Amino acid sequence: MPRYLVHFAQFHEDFRLAELEALAQLENIPLKYEPDAYSNDNPFLLVELPSNEDARRLVQRAILVKEICEYWGSGDSYDSLFAHLKTTPERWDDFKTCSFKFLVKAFGGTRTIKEQIKIINTFSFLAFEGPIDLKNPDEVFIVYEDYGNDPILQKALTNPNEIHFGRLIAYSNRDVVQTYNLKKREYLGNTSMDAELSLVMANQALARPGTITYDPFVGTGSFLLTCAHFGAFTMGSDIDGRQIRGARGETDGIKTNIKQYGLDKLILDTLVFDISRNPWRQNNSGGTSTRGGPWFDAIVTDPPYGVRAGAKRLGRKTGLNPELSFVEVEGTVNHLRSDYYPPTVPYEMSEVLTDLLEFAARHLVVGGRLVYWLPTVVDEYSSDDVPLHPCLELKANSEQNFGSWSRRLITMEKSRDWENLTGATIAAAQVSDETAKSTPPVQLGHYNFREKYFSKFDSNSGSSTPNEAVIPAEPTS
Amino acid sequence: MRLLTHNMLQCHVKSCNDPALNFPLQFQEVELEQIEAEENEALLLNLVGKIDWPALVQTTSELGITGLPPTKPDVVKNDPALMKRLHEILLETNVAQGKMVCRGCGHSYPIKDGIPNMLLAEHEI
Repeated sequence: MPRYLVHFAQFHEDFRLAELEALAQLENIPLKYEPDAYSNDNPFLLVELPSNEDARRLVQRAILVKEICEYWGSGDSYDSLFAHLKTTPERWDDFKTCSFKFLVKAFGGTRTIKEQIKIINTFSFLAFEGPIDLKNPDEVFIVYEDYGNDPILQKALTNPNEIHFGRLIAYSNRDVVQTYNLKKREYLGNTSMDAELSLVMANQALARPGTITYDPFVGTGSFLLTCAHFGAFTMGSDIDGRQIRGARGETDGIKTNIKQYGLDKLILDTLVFDISRNPWRQNNSGGTSTRGGPWFDAIVTDPPYGVRAGAKRLGRKTGLNPELSFVEVEGTVNHLRSDYYPPTVPYEMSEVLTDLLEFAARHLVVGGRLVYWLPTVVDEYSSDDVPLHPCLELKANSEQNFGSWSRRLITMEKSRDWENLTGATIAAAQVSDETAKSTPPVQLGHYNFREKYFSKFDSNSGSSTPNEAVIPAEPTS
Repeated sequence: MRLLTHNMLQCHVKSCNDPALNFPLQFQEVELEQIEAEENEALLLNLVGKIDWPALVQTTSELGITGLPPTKPDVVKNDPALMKRLHEILLETNVAQGKMVCRGCGHSYPIKDGIPNMLLAEHEI
């Protein structure tokens, strides 16, 4: 099969391969590479794909890829690269007369324009006779110099460790990040997700036309926007209706963002309720039911960690007191007042997760994906911390590290019908009711995350105070 | 709120678990508006398989909306007029103001500016 060189952005490295794999699945493209060939320290990956068209489709939605090239060769010096290129001179003929340009891209180094031109001229043996066209060339050829990822070693190098050469097939979708840049968004909350990772999440979720994506902790609606950007119909809910509605009518709230991006034809509805007591009609297809299966093709969410916005669910700290619903307040029965708001209690992260996984297992279609953020304390994290569910297969686990804490983007795929479990759900799930609701025998890395975040991290004032990471910086590239 | 969403919701008051009564919720005092939605045949066919048809027919007739056959047709795909009507009803017909009342327990879920409030009171959870 033909070989292609994927050039990743050197940013959010732990998410890149997962995104590429998700896109290959979404586009139904067989993607092959040597597992050892990928490294988070290096932006290049050699892959095998059936055709140029597949290469173009693979990256057309990619956020963490810069571009993909038809791979022509590599070398540890220009001489060895040229020797490699000269083994396939028949390749050159197709480009003898077309217009073209060359680019020199240096990873971990810089080349002046003068040096770049000098490098480009050494490729004259390819004997391309067509005109050079810098603005609108038929073909773009790219020289990639790799000086490695170590800043100290980079400075000592005058020549790259490795050089790759290829013909551009397609640029990725990375420019769209600017469109959803938070600085340009009209309505923001204190938990709005940065644009780049919101778009990556939409890719992880395989958000696409003809499907429905749901966010049960919708907040200001970042994922409604990015999933709808890729053509999915979206819905959201939240226990706190203030961000959904906005405080100033037409000038804020989720609707403002939806209008700003022209996505109102795809964003179906936002509702106010507590996901732990939700009104979705369970629509499973098992048994003799004539109803046609679960509603959602994807669930994409940033569950409240209880850090930036305290997670809440319905309840009363001192125990429920149903009689309080019926006392008269200003002449009206309490729960019938127009501004009645039921009492809420803190919603511990482990409970949120148990509920989220169980909800996904019930309400996702088979093959549908759950994509969500899991906060963890770096020193205490082990892979057992990722909650499991017998209906959900773990597809990806990518870390965004903030020093002493990190958050992990977890991607799970529903692998079988919830009905067929016949009671195995709780027993087989790692986060069982027992571990979630009482003091767990093994404390998961996210257990009491809020308390750890505010007490422990504050006391060892290390290099990374959590506040610095409240909203990760927008990428500049 | 779109009529599709209405078909996806049921009363979830804890003690209200008679499936014959807790779904579909009954619209009252509603103000309707049409809001354009993206046309997508695949989604619509998918939804036809998932929605509760009798509940949709009952709800539309209560709202005075016409154009749906009383029983679900076997094949919807080859009927462009029906597909168009379903798109208009399910995806584009919105309830801007009003309430949804449970036929079982009587809980009234208000809809304001197109946003339904499905929160339960303390005695209902």
